[in-house]
Amino acid sequence: MNLERKDWIRALTAHPATVLNALADELTVGCDVKLKSLPQAGLGLLTLTDGAFHEPYYLGEFPLSMCSIELSLSDGRQAAGGAQVMADDAELARSLAILDAVLAARFPGWEQVSAHIESGASRRAEEDRRRRAMLTATRVDFAMLNNAEVDDDEC
Amino acid sequence: MSYVAIKGGGHAIAGAAAVTEYLRTEEGLGNPAAEPLAIDAILHQLRHLVDRVVSEGGVYHPQFAALAIKQSLGDTLEAAFALRAWRSTRPRLSATPPLDTSRMRLIRRISSAFKDIPGGQMLGPTPDYALRLLRLELMDESPDAFRAVARNWLEKCPEAQLPDTFPKVLDALRAEGLLPPVTATRGQTAFDITREPLVFPVPRSAQLATMARAETGSLLAIAYSNMRGYGDVHPTVAELRVGYLPVMLPHPVTGELVEAGEVLITECEVVAMYDVQDAQVPRAQRCAGAAEADETGGKPVFTLGYGACFGHNEVKAISMAILDRALQKGMKDGASNPSEDPEFVLLHVDGVDSMGFASHYKMPHYVTFQSDLDRLRTTQQKSGEPA
Repeated sequence: MNLERKDWIRALTAHPATVLNALADELTVGCDVKLKSLPQAGLGLLTLTDGAFHEPYYLGEFPLSMCSIELSLSDGRQAAGGAQVMADDAELARSLAILDAVLAARFPGWEQVSAHIESGASRRAEEDRRRRAMLTATRVDFAMLNNAEVDDDEC
Repeated sequence: MSYVAIKGGGHAIAGAAAVTEYLRTEEGLGNPAAEPLAIDAILHQLRHLVDRVVSEGGVYHPQFAALAIKQSLGDTLEAAFALRAWRSTRPRLSATPPLDTSRMRLIRRISSAFKDIPGGQMLGPTPDYALRLLRLELMDESPDAFRAVARNWLEKCPEAQLPDTFPKVLDALRAEGLLPPVTATRGQTAFDITREPLVFPVPRSAQLATMARAETGSLLAIAYSNMRGYGDVHPTVAELRVGYLPVMLPHPVTGELVEAGEVLITECEVVAMYDVQDAQVPRAQRCAGAAEADETGGKPVFTLGYGACFGHNEVKAISMAILDRALQKGMKDGASNPSEDPEFVLLHVDGVDSMGFASHYKMPHYVTFQSDLDRLRTTQQKSGEPA
């Protein structure tokens, strides 16, 4: 798994929340989970740079959940994790923060998190491939009528 | 205008809700094959309806937009209202840094200004070149046939050999000096229309935000007045793009920007008749009402308009771009028609506001109307009396 930490959320959220919650629960058995900031669900404001004059403006809002945690193992090791995810699901944010901490600190079970990230990244790659296929399948080459020797539909 | 409280009608109001619910489920009477509309089915098969509601509701929550469509029986105004009501119950947690749409994962990209644009034009999913004929075969589409369509498309779809992102057409025009310069915006904060009232004149960021969540038909109607002749210009779409924009937020531990999710957006940039720039006066100040732009011998450049909204809604994005350009002109030279008047445009395009006002006429006005009756009768009586 060679994805950077900034790409973990996108890969992990390719899985259903129930899967991620179950994994986080499994990996925190015997761990102390300290909430650095309470899991919260609310809204984020999307700031866009307008394409004409590059001025910032607010396009609208989106559901946002966030959480920061600190994991402590019985041997005294500690790891910090956090997540901001586009979802109306505070529990999911907590689970993602836990998985983030486990993988970042290579805590027991990190291989499972890594495997989920890899499989999630594959799903995202397939999604991207389908979107690109929409472009490839509809690439258009308009020609001026007087210059068009052969209509591409007649090829 | 005054309002009075009334009482009574509780049973009838509850009954009205029950009747509406009856109509939603009536298909199930004696029909074991009837099934409720699945949220996923709405999300996928009525995607433009969902896109419209997320855009007009101002919240990118496609699942709740689909739910709102279901509960409102497909009424987009009611659905957007329900979505706005939901958002009003949620705390604001964060705001993204200004996101750059050049990072969009595109599914469509066209230009009507140039036939050849860097990266090429891709039609993507569009009915633009389709015949508007009813496809009667869909009247009785079998589940097998339905499932086969997407499967077959995927099997035949070409291997994608395209970059992840594409350059903006405007960048090429700007590099040639054909567009007004980009405004320095470091530290500039955008206007939050959900927290502050519109007190005119308002900055362009307030105008863009208001139009981004405007009702599509209202925006189109005013933009259409400009297109048909009141605006006296024919803008050209430099670029129209549809795609998924990564939503970036800082990681709570590292501070590095992380992709928290993505939103489907439509973005449109139009260029129109050239204008003479005043290099000495910042654009923001000119938009505040100054009209001295073309008296200083600045270099002529195209005027620009910009539109963007949640979801795939091209008519809305184009309308917004046309109105953005018109409003800039109105702010600079004074409005010569309603579509150039910020107050007229921005106060009349919100779907929830306008439907609320229209709907209020259905509410009891018994006391106010009684007053009208009394005045009319008195006036009639007086007019019948000898002078």
